Amino acid sequence: MKKSGKNIYGQGERAAYDGRYAFIQGALAAVSEQFALDGASYYEYDEKNELLRLRLRRAFGAAFEHEENLRPTPASAAARAVAGMQPCTASSPAGRFFYFPFKLDSFDPSGGRNAVPRTGLVRLERSPRKRRFSAAEAARADAWLRAYFKDYYKAEFFSLARRQEKTISAITELTEVFATALRVRDSFRHILAGIQTYFGFDRVRLYLIDEGNRKLKGELSADIRGQIKSISYEEIPLEQGAHRFADIVLGKSSGAFMERYKDCVLYMPLSVQGVTIGLLIVDNLLSQQRIEPAELAMLKSFGGQIALAVDNSRLFDKVEELSLYDELTKLPLRRYFNQRFQEEFYRAERFKQPLALVWADVDYFKEINDTYGHQIGDVALKEIGRVILSNLRKIDFPCRYGGDEIVILLPQATGAEAARLAQRLCEEIAELRIAVPFSKARELKITLSIGISTFPQDASGLEAMLERADDALYWVKSHGRGRIALYSDTAAEKQKAAAAGGNTNGKS
Amino acid sequence: MNIWLLSDYDPRKHLAFKSLLSRFSAAFPDTETEFQVKSRKSMWESLFAHLRDPKRNPLADIIEIPQNWTELFSRLGLLFDLSRRVEPLESKRYPGFILKELCRHDEARAFSAPWWIEAPALFYRTQALKGICQDPEKELASWEGFRATLDKLTSGGKRRNFRALSSPGSSGSVSVSDVLPRVWGRRGGLFSDDFNRATFTRDETAGGIEDWLELAVSGRIELFSPDRFENGPRPPEECAFIISSRKLAVRAGLKMLPYPGSAGSGFALVYNLAVSASSNDQDGAASFVSWAMEPQNMAAFTESFGVFPCLKSVFEQRLQEEREVDVYRRIFSAPELMPNIMVYPTAELLLERSLWNLSLKIARKEYTREDLNRELIMAQGEADYLLSLY
Repeated sequence: MKKSGKNIYGQGERAAYDGRYAFIQGALAAVSEQFALDGASYYEYDEKNELLRLRLRRAFGAAFEHEENLRPTPASAAARAVAGMQPCTASSPAGRFFYFPFKLDSFDPSGGRNAVPRTGLVRLERSPRKRRFSAAEAARADAWLRAYFKDYYKAEFFSLARRQEKTISAITELTEVFATALRVRDSFRHILAGIQTYFGFDRVRLYLIDEGNRKLKGELSADIRGQIKSISYEEIPLEQGAHRFADIVLGKSSGAFMERYKDCVLYMPLSVQGVTIGLLIVDNLLSQQRIEPAELAMLKSFGGQIALAVDNSRLFDKVEELSLYDELTKLPLRRYFNQRFQEEFYRAERFKQPLALVWADVDYFKEINDTYGHQIGDVALKEIGRVILSNLRKIDFPCRYGGDEIVILLPQATGAEAARLAQRLCEEIAELRIAVPFSKARELKITLSIGISTFPQDASGLEAMLERADDALYWVKSHGRGRIALYSDTAAEKQKAAAAGGNTNGKS
Repeated sequence: MNIWLLSDYDPRKHLAFKSLLSRFSAAFPDTETEFQVKSRKSMWESLFAHLRDPKRNPLADIIEIPQNWTELFSRLGLLFDLSRRVEPLESKRYPGFILKELCRHDEARAFSAPWWIEAPALFYRTQALKGICQDPEKELASWEGFRATLDKLTSGGKRRNFRALSSPGSSGSVSVSDVLPRVWGRRGGLFSDDFNRATFTRDETAGGIEDWLELAVSGRIELFSPDRFENGPRPPEECAFIISSRKLAVRAGLKMLPYPGSAGSGFALVYNLAVSASSNDQDGAASFVSWAMEPQNMAAFTESFGVFPCLKSVFEQRLQEEREVDVYRRIFSAPELMPNIMVYPTAELLLERSLWNLSLKIARKEYTREDLNRELIMAQGEADYLLSLY
């Protein structure tokens, strides 16, 4: 017998095969050799439609997987063989035949516990010019095939064992994936990659609900090769009838729609404590291959864990955001700034690039709070944060340094460039009008005082840079506020004043 | 080296391939080759199984695919770029209509090499049409003319197993390859010209499908026929008409015409050889493809089972030698090929599923026109959804 690619162990006639078809292909090869046949075919009998469906063939020394569906003539040898489960011989202009019907149990592909009986028919074939199957030869062929098919359950068992092995490794490893998703940087990627590794769908997509905007937002999509891409461009209004995904999340999807796609698509709303947080969609639409019910059931059983992992990652991001960003101004906090300042400073030093530091202070902020209350002060800070964020380059890094003090790091910027930005910020902020309904003026204007230091002109270290910007800021404050000063300019003025014998130190 | 070949209703294809392999082995005795034949469905499943789990489901080194699977599987990373490894591809020595589809998206690369081509045509037995059809060339040019003639053919005279129409490539049910020539003939298609939406329900498409289904409903073609299974291939002498993509022997008194109702030229199917991107022997596999593309090898292989070679020089020469050269020239003047776009093979599967459901209904005599509408609406919806995804 020629070894099949799916032959798992052993040699010769009693080899065991991985799967039903590999086993039957082995049987066709062996029986062809044993009985000097021109061909041997395997048909599955579709009882519901009364069709014989050709699946495998052996001819010309080659293995064939074939598709042909036919309804045998009622009184024909094949029909009699299948109906009575009795082997028989036949001759026609097409050739000499021996029909061997059989019934075998196979595991339930839908994941049920009961075995599914299958009726099959093996046809041994000789060309019309060759000898017929005599009664003795038919009996021998019958006995030979019966003996061979006794080993069928080994193949069935092997397939089942492989499935179980896959299920167990999926359960253990996916549980680990979902549990560790919280700790990894790209947690959503990690979850999707885990699903693809064990299930191998044509596509997996993750959508999350943005409650604030009542939208279902695309996050990531993973294809059959495991390649993951962002689908953040997909935004679906969370309203009934807006999109089928919205209907599914809202529990308004029609049964007919779900029924049509149930074999190759699974829409899995992700819920945590009864609240839907997103939608996971897996599909085999491109290949149009059925997702095995057992796989669907397993994925559904992971639904809770996936939802929890997704929710945990979001919470983790939220906590991280809270610890690094100021909730009011949306600017990074001092701790985060210190880390980035160090990195940017070393980078500037190493690549000999300029670095500017802008230190801004809201003029009379204490008075604003005392006069109008902290709520108005908070509104002012929030607006200032918005203006700053909308004016910076991607590489700039602002920070709420404390109270009403804001520091902005400007990599690759000279003093003049920093001054230009500061000027723009001052102008835009001066145009802000904070509504104060209970005051006479009805609105509040804000101004900033800004001090700027630069590397390498003004300072050669981190602390020195901060000190120089602070010095420049205090110089502004001591000279009437609402202005911008470069440390280099204030230092020159101080020198001039010192030479003239005056006191220019604004600090008091 | 492992080779996966597509199955075929005509066993001569596999004998021809065996003989091709024997010659290859004689020329390259150090290279071991083995081949396996897969149905279109199992080939599709094997390719996707490999994508899902490459270690457990290795691919063969060389794979025969319908040309219009090339874009899909190259984009999924399964196929190796042959454009610099197979000389006819490099110098584009194929007819323009083949290259146009193969290189629809990428002129610089080619992930499969066109191997053989077939086109459905109408064969008729002059004897059987005596007194029924005065001018076959004229009367059988349109579908309506063909259909009217078919209706007049009620008996086959003395022949016991007479059939008015035979379609030897049928797998039992009505399939996409059965209906598409008629759909094309009506100027229909599965997608709009810009491939932005599915058009299964368009009048031209649905009408083309209906034309073929009607042959089955009226009993002109028998679905799930046990004929070949029980009696072997039907001799051409027993049929008045044969719709076949393969050349048929003229000794049976057969004459050939283009597929009835083909608007312009015909419809053709092209089959290619591809090398797996995961093959451990890509050089060896590409060498085999190059060798198979050599004029004498391609000519011998294709001639053995009545199809045409894809290499331009061999193709032209074969056309020249054909008895029905004029008919073939018409068919191949600018034939329509299956579009080589990513979602087309899946759209075919969707239509195939619909046709299977309809075939079962027809066989049970439960079919109504409404069933066709319903199936096509469903399939179109799914195809449209696919287009939105890919």
